Amino acid sequence: MEEQVEVVSKAFVEHYYSLFDNDRSSLSSLYHPTSMLTFEGQKIVGVDEISAKLRDLPFDKCQHHISTVDSQPSSSAGIVVFVSGSLQLPEEEHHLRFSQMFHLVPSPAGSFFVQNDIFRLNYG
Amino acid sequence: MDPDGLAKAFVEHYYSTFDTNRGGLGSLYQDASMLTFEGQKIQGSQNIVTKLTTLPFQQCQHSISTVDCQPSGPAGGMLVFVSGNLQLAGEQHSLKFSQMFHLMPTPQGSFYVLNDIFRLNYA
Repeated sequence: MEEQVEVVSKAFVEHYYSLFDNDRSSLSSLYHPTSMLTFEGQKIVGVDEISAKLRDLPFDKCQHHISTVDSQPSSSAGIVVFVSGSLQLPEEEHHLRFSQMFHLVPSPAGSFFVQNDIFRLNYG
Repeated sequence: MDPDGLAKAFVEHYYSTFDTNRGGLGSLYQDASMLTFEGQKIQGSQNIVTKLTTLPFQQCQHSISTVDCQPSGPAGGMLVFVSGNLQLAGEQHSLKFSQMFHLMPTPQGSFYVLNDIFRLNYA
C-alpha cells in the first residue's frame, strides 16, 4: 500500500509540473468543482476559478525543479503529497524556492484529482 | 470555531507544546498517525513521540511565518500548511521549515494529527 502511494505520488508530481510548465491550461483536468487552491494566501474554489488563476499568473513560461516529494496515505483512500523545489522564471537570474501540498482524492474514473492544493514561496 | 480559527489554535498549541514540553505531543497523535520527518517515515503515536523527543537538540523555538488551511472533505478533516523558522539553542542562524498537518475529528469533539510531514527549507 505504501509503495502504491509513493508510485502514485511521484507520477502525479511529474505530471502536474510538466503540465504546468508546458501546457498550463490542461491543469484543469486535475481539478473538480469542489477543489480548493490557496496560492500565496489567496483562496480560490472550483476548477474554473483555479484554472483562471493559474492561467493569469504574471509570467508566460516557467520551469519547476523538484527537490523533495513526500507522501502519505490519508483518510478515505486519499493521498497527501508534500513537494519542495524551485521555480525558474525566464529572464530572472535567481530561482524562487517553493513548497506545495496536494490532497489527492480518488475519482470515479479510477484516477485521482486534486481536492486541496496549497502553494507558498519560501523566501530566504 | 471557524476553520481558520481552528487551524491557528492548533498551530499555536502544537508549537508551544513542541518548544516547552515535547513529550506532551503524544496526545495529538493516535496509532494510525503518520509522520514523515526529513524523509524518514514513522507510524503511531509512541514511535512519533520517541522520534520527536530524541531529536538532536534540547531546546528549540519555532517562529511561525504563514498558516494556510483548507477543509479536506466530508469526513470533517482539516489540512494545515505552515512555514516558519526554527531556532536551536546555541546556533547563530535559524533554520527555515515547512510542515503540513492533516487533522481529523475525534469522537470527543477535538482533533488529532493523522498526517504530519516536516521539511527543512534549505537555501
